[in-house]
Amino acid sequence: MQIEREQAGEDVLLKVAGRLDTPNAKPFEASLLEVVNTTGGGIVVDLAGVVYVSSSGLRALLVAGKAMRTAKRKLSLKSLQPQIREVFDISGFSTLFEIS
Amino acid sequence: MLILAGLLAGLGLLFIGLKLMSVHLQQAMGRRVRTMLKAATRSSFSGFFCGAFAGAAAQSSNAVTLIAGNLVRGGVFTTRDAIPVVAGANVGTSALVFIASIDMRLAVLLLIALVGMTYQLRLDRRPNWRDWMGVTLGLALLFLGLDFIKSAPKGIDITQAADALSSGMTPLIGLAIGFIAAVITQSASTATILAVAATKARLLGLEDAFYLILGANFGSGIATLVSAGGLAGIGKQLCFVHILVKGVGCVIVFALWQGAKLAGWDSAAILSDLGGGEPTLSISLLFLALQLSGGLVITGLRGLTEKISVALSPASVEDQVSRPRFIHDAALGDPSTALDLASRETDRLVSLLPDLLPDLDQSSTGAAKQRTVLWHGSSTIVTATSQFVVRVIERRVGREDLDLALHLQEQLDLVKFLQDTLHDFSQVVEEFKDLPPLAFNLSEALRTIVLSLVDARSGTNEDFDILIALTSDRSDLLDRIRRALAGSALGSGEEARKLLLATSMFERAVWLVRRLAVALRPDANDDKPAVARNKVNLEEAHAD
Repeated sequence: MQIEREQAGEDVLLKVAGRLDTPNAKPFEASLLEVVNTTGGGIVVDLAGVVYVSSSGLRALLVAGKAMRTAKRKLSLKSLQPQIREVFDISGFSTLFEIS
Repeated sequence: MLILAGLLAGLGLLFIGLKLMSVHLQQAMGRRVRTMLKAATRSSFSGFFCGAFAGAAAQSSNAVTLIAGNLVRGGVFTTRDAIPVVAGANVGTSALVFIASIDMRLAVLLLIALVGMTYQLRLDRRPNWRDWMGVTLGLALLFLGLDFIKSAPKGIDITQAADALSSGMTPLIGLAIGFIAAVITQSASTATILAVAATKARLLGLEDAFYLILGANFGSGIATLVSAGGLAGIGKQLCFVHILVKGVGCVIVFALWQGAKLAGWDSAAILSDLGGGEPTLSISLLFLALQLSGGLVITGLRGLTEKISVALSPASVEDQVSRPRFIHDAALGDPSTALDLASRETDRLVSLLPDLLPDLDQSSTGAAKQRTVLWHGSSTIVTATSQFVVRVIERRVGREDLDLALHLQEQLDLVKFLQDTLHDFSQVVEEFKDLPPLAFNLSEALRTIVLSLVDARSGTNEDFDILIALTSDRSDLLDRIRRALAGSALGSGEEARKLLLATSMFERAVWLVRRLAVALRPDANDDKPAVARNKVNLEEAHAD
C-alpha cells in the first residue's frame, strides 16, 4: 500500500494505492489520524489506486471519520473504482462520507 | 427353541416396559425431575438419595448419568455436585434386581387391569393421566418381561445344561459374558436378571454367577460411554464417574470375595447364607453390594473423582464458550445486582457477534467449525441469561428493575435473532467455492457494521448515532442488486440463488443491528419509556 500526501489549499489530499486489508489497515489509520491531529482543514482521500477494501480498511476510515466529525471537519472520498464503490454503498458508508 | 423365544420375548417386554416408563415419566415429570435434581445437589446425602430415587424410577443408571451430564453441560449444576446423584442412581437400579427375585405375576395382572379400565373410561384423553397410564403400562410390561425371563429356563434339561455350563465356565469367561451382555443391553441389571433366572433354575452356581455379575457391572459402566456418543467435554465427565462407581464397586467386592477365600472361608457359601439359602436373593444382595460400595466410596472421594473425570474429559471449546461468565444464581437475592450481571453478560454476547462472521482477510482452515461451535455456545448463554432474567422478574422486583429486566429481555431476543442470522449468512458465504465480488462485499460490509456495534457499546451516544445512520434503510440499493442479479448472465443458476439469499440475510442482519443499536443506546436505557418505544416486533423479525 502506498500513501501520497498533497496539500490542496486548506485541505489535505491523500492518494492511496494498493490493498486496504488487515495488514495495511493500521498504518492507513495512523496516517489518517496523523493528518487529523496535525492539520486544521478537511481531508480528501483519493481511492483511485485502491483495488481491495476489507472490513479492516473500512474501520480505519470510520475511525478517522469519527475523529473528523468530533472536530467538526469534513472527510471526503473520491475516485472509487466501481467494485470499491459497491462495498461503500452496501456498508452504508456513502451516507456518512461525501463521495465524489 | 420355545425356551429361547420365551427368553427373547421376556427381554423384549422388559425393554419396551423400560422405554415406556422412561418416555412417559419424562413427559409427566420432566421439569420436576430437573428441579428435583437441582435441589438435591445441595448436599452429598440429598444428591445420593435423589439419585437412588431417580435410578429406581428410571431403572437405568445410564439414563440418569446422561440426564445429569446434560444438566452439567447446560450449567444447571457442576460435575462435582452431580457425583452423588450418579452414585445413588446405581444403588437405585438394584430395585429391579430385587423385584426380579420375587413373584410379580399378581402385580402384573392388577396393573394391566388398572390400565385397561382407565382406557375404557377414556381417561387417556387427559394429558396428565395419559402419561401416568403409560408409566403403569410400562411397569406392567416390565414385570411381565421379568416373569418370562425367569420362566424360560424351566423347560431346560437342568442336569445336562448345568453340566455343560459349569464345565465351560471359568471366572474369565464369566466376566466376559457378563461384560458383553451388559454392553449389548446397556444395563447391568438386565444381565444380572438373566443370571438370577439361570441361578434360580440351578443352571449356574453362585460362584459362576458372581463373576458374570462382576463383568456385567463393569460392562454397564463402559456402556455409558457408548450411549453418550453425542456428549463431549464437561458433559462426558459423569460417564467416567459412572465407570469409576462401577469399577470401584467391582474391586471392593472382588477383594472381599478373594479375601474370604484366602482366610479359608467359602465365599459362595457366605453369600448363600446372606440370602437365606435363596440364590436369587443372594444375587440381589451381591448386586446391591456392588452399587453401594462403589457409590459410597466415590461420593466420599468427590474431590479426587472430579479430578480424575476432568483429566479424562477436559472441558471442550464448546463448553468454554457456552458458560455464562457473569450471571450466577447466588445473585438472584439482589435483583439490581442480578440485572447488572445480566447486562454484562449481554455486553459479552454482543462482543462475540463479529466472530460469527468470516474474516475474509484471514481465512484459515477450521474457522468455519469454530464459528459453529461459538454459535452453539453463545446461543446457550443467551438462553441461560434469558432464563436468569425471568427468574429475577419472578421475584417480585420493583418497577424500575422490572423495566430494566424487560429491556434486557428485548436486547437478548435481538441478540439471539442476530446470532442466528449471522450464522446463516456465514454458512451461505462459505458455500461458494470461488467467492463472487458481491458476496465478498456483503460479508465485509456486514462485518464492519457488526464491529461498529461492538465499538459503540464501549463508546458514546455519538457512536450509536453513527451506527444508526450506517444501518439506515438501504432497500432501494439491495433491490437494485437483486434486479441486476436476476437479469445477469448468472440468471437463475445456483450461484445467483445463493447471492440472493445472502443479500436477504444481509438486509435482515443490518435491520437487527439497527434495532439493537437503538435498544442499547444509553439514553434508551435511562429513559424508561424508550423501552416501549424501542419495542421490536419480533414476530415480524422472525417472518422477515
